[in-house]
Amino acid sequence: MSQGIPLSWLQLKHEKMKLFAAVAGVMVSVVLMWMQLGLMKALFASAVVFHGSMNGELVIVHSQYEHLLHSKVFSSRLLYRLRGSPDVSDVFSIYLSPGEWKNPWNGEMRSIQCYGIETDNASLKLPGIERHLQQLRNTDVFLYDRMARPRFGDVVGAVERREPVELELNRRRMSLAGVVDLGASFGVDGNVLVSHANFLRLFSERKSGEIDVGVVKLVPGISVVSAQQQFQKVLGKEVQVLTVDQFKELELIYWRSATPIGIIFTAGTVVGFFIGFIVVYQILYTDVTNHLPQYATMKAMGFSDGYLYQLVLGQSVQLATMGFIPGSLIAAAMYAGLRKVTQLPLYMEPMRGVFLIFATILMCTFSGMLAVRKLRSADPADVF
Amino acid sequence: MKTDDSKAVITGAGINFSFGQGELRKQILFDVELAIQPGEIVLLTGPSGSGKTTLLTLIAGLRKLQEGRLDVLGHSLHNASQTDLLKLRRKIGFIFQAHNLLPYLTALQNVQVMFDLQPGVTIKEGRERATRILQQVGLGERMNYHVSRLSGGQKQRVAIARALVGRPELVLADEPTAALDGTSGREVVNLLQSLAREQKRPILMVTHDVRVLDIADRIIEMQDGHLTASSRGSSSAENHPAKGVQNESDIAAVTF
Ligand SMILES: Nc1ncnc2c1ncn2[C@@H]1O[C@H](COP(=O)(O)OP(=O)(O)OP(=O)(O)O)[C@@H](O)[C@H]1O
Ligand SMILES: [Mg+2]
Repeated sequence: MSQGIPLSWLQLKHEKMKLFAAVAGVMVSVVLMWMQLGLMKALFASAVVFHGSMNGELVIVHSQYEHLLHSKVFSSRLLYRLRGSPDVSDVFSIYLSPGEWKNPWNGEMRSIQCYGIETDNASLKLPGIERHLQQLRNTDVFLYDRMARPRFGDVVGAVERREPVELELNRRRMSLAGVVDLGASFGVDGNVLVSHANFLRLFSERKSGEIDVGVVKLVPGISVVSAQQQFQKVLGKEVQVLTVDQFKELELIYWRSATPIGIIFTAGTVVGFFIGFIVVYQILYTDVTNHLPQYATMKAMGFSDGYLYQLVLGQSVQLATMGFIPGSLIAAAMYAGLRKVTQLPLYMEPMRGVFLIFATILMCTFSGMLAVRKLRSADPADVF
Repeated sequence: MKTDDSKAVITGAGINFSFGQGELRKQILFDVELAIQPGEIVLLTGPSGSGKTTLLTLIAGLRKLQEGRLDVLGHSLHNASQTDLLKLRRKIGFIFQAHNLLPYLTALQNVQVMFDLQPGVTIKEGRERATRILQQVGLGERMNYHVSRLSGGQKQRVAIARALVGRPELVLADEPTAALDGTSGREVVNLLQSLAREQKRPILMVTHDVRVLDIADRIIEMQDGHLTASSRGSSSAENHPAKGVQNESDIAAVTF
C-alpha cells in the first residue's frame, strides 16, 4: 500500500449501512463483554469487601475455617504470643456470627452478619469508622451497613432525616450509632458492627476470648511472607496464618464453586465475543464475495495474495477500533449507572480494558481470516 | 512468418492445451506457434470457442502451460514458479472485457493503486503519472469521480489508463470493446493504439470487432485451436501516428 491509498478504509466506508451494521455489531459485543466481566468481578469483589478492609497484613483463622459463613472459633490467647514479637505493631481480634434483625418498620425478621470488633483501635480500614469507635463503646449500640439490602428497612433514610433508630437485634433492644460502607454479597444481605462487649451480650452462647478472626499489623518494612511462616510455626497447627490475599482467595474459592456465577458470566462473555465475530464475519464475507471479480482482476494484474489479505484484515482491525471505543464509552456509562443503583463495585479496570482490546482485535481478525479464505475462489484465469 | 526470435516479446511453439481430465479431457489448443515483436500491434480473431482467450491466459501466466515452449518477456513459462508468474504479470498491462475497477475508488485512485506494485514509485510521482495518463485518455475532468459515476466507455478508458500507467512491457487485451457501442469502442481502441505506439509497447488484442481491425500491424486468426492465417494489418509501426483518432486532445503529448 505504498501509494498511501487506504483501500481497507475506502472499501469499508463505501457502503455506509454495512459499515454501520458492522460497527454496531462490534459495539454490542464490546459492551456485552465489559458488562459480563465487570459484573462477575464486582460480584466476587463484593464477597471480599470485609476481607479487604483488614487493618493488617496477616489474618489468623482456625485451621478448619472455610469462609465467613463457615467459621470456627479459636482462643485469642494464641494471639498474645504474637504481641511480644518485635515485628508486630498491633493485633486485633474479631468475633463474627449471623444475627436476627427485626425490621422496625414492618417487624420482619432477617438474618444479618454481625462483627464484634475492638474499639480502642480500628481493626478495619473502613472510611469514617474512627469517628464512630468512641460511640461504639456504649452499651447496646451498633454501626449499620449503609450498602445493606433494603429489606432491613430504610435505616439510611432515617439517618438522613436525623431520626433515632432503635430496633431488636437477637431480641435485644439496640440503638444505631452510625453508618459505614461494607455492602451485601452472595451469602450476606447486610452487616452490623458492634463492640466486643456488645457482641457477647447479643450472642450469650459465645464465650469471651473465643474469636473467629485475628488480624496482625506488622511493623513497616517487615517481610509479610517470612512473618507468615514464622507465626505459623509459633502458633502451631490449630490455626492458619494467611495473607490478606489468601484470606480473600479462600472466600472466592468457596463462592466460585458454590455458585454458577463464574460459568454464567464467562458464558455471557463468550456469547458477546461470538456475536461480534459472526456479525463481522458475515459482513466481511459478503464484501469479499461481492468484490470477487475485482479481486480476481487484481490478482491477474500481479497483486499478491498478501496484499489482498491485508486489504481484508485491515478492515477487521478498523472495525475493531471503531466498535471498541464507543462500546467502551457505553459500558462506562452503564457501569456508572449500575454502581449507583446496585452499589456493586463496577469499575473500568485498565487490565480488563487491555484484555478486551485484544479480545476485540482477535474477534475481528478471526472473522477476517475466515472471510479471507473466500479469496481463494477468486481465480485470476477467469477474468479474461 | 519469419521472425527474429531472440528479440521477440513472445515466442511460442508446439503449444498444446486441454481442459478436463480423463474422458472429459478436451483439447483446446493444437500445436500453436507464434511470435510477437517489440512494438507490434497484433490482433487475434476467430470464431467463438476457438481458444483465443485460452491462449491469452497462457501467455499471461494465468494458466499452467501443459505442453510446448512459451517465452514471454524473457520468462520461460514451462514449469514456471508462482513467484515467477507473478513477476511476469506485473510487467503486463491487462485490459479485460469487464473493466472490474474497484467501485469504492475514484478513477484516479484506481489508476494510482497500480503503483502499489512498484514500491520504488513515490506517492507524488504515482499521483502525477496517474493524473497525466487520465488526462491523456480524456478523463482529466472526471479524475475524482467514483467509477460508478462514469459511463461504460469512460470506465473502459480508466481501465486502459490503469493497464498502461505502470509502463508495461506488453499489453494483453481481450475484447476491450465488446461492452461498448461503436463510437466509444472506436475511441477506446484508438487510444490504446496511440498510447501503445508512443510507449512502444507491443499489444496482443483479441477482438471480434471488424471495425477496429485497421489498427493492427498484423492479424492472426484462430480456428478450432489452430492458428491458421496471419495477414498484415492496414496499420504498421512505420506509418505512424495512427489514423482514425477522433479526439485529438485525448492523445496529446503522450509521454508517461
Ligand atoms: N475453464 C474452462 N474449463 C473447461 N473448458 C473451458 C474453460 N474455459 C474455456 N473452455 C472451453 O475452451 C474452449 C475455448 O474457449 P475460449 O474461451 O478460449 O474461446 P474464445 O476463442 O475466447 O471464445 P470467445 O470468442 O467466445 O471468447 C471453449 O470450448 C470453452 O468451452
Ligand atoms: Mg474469449
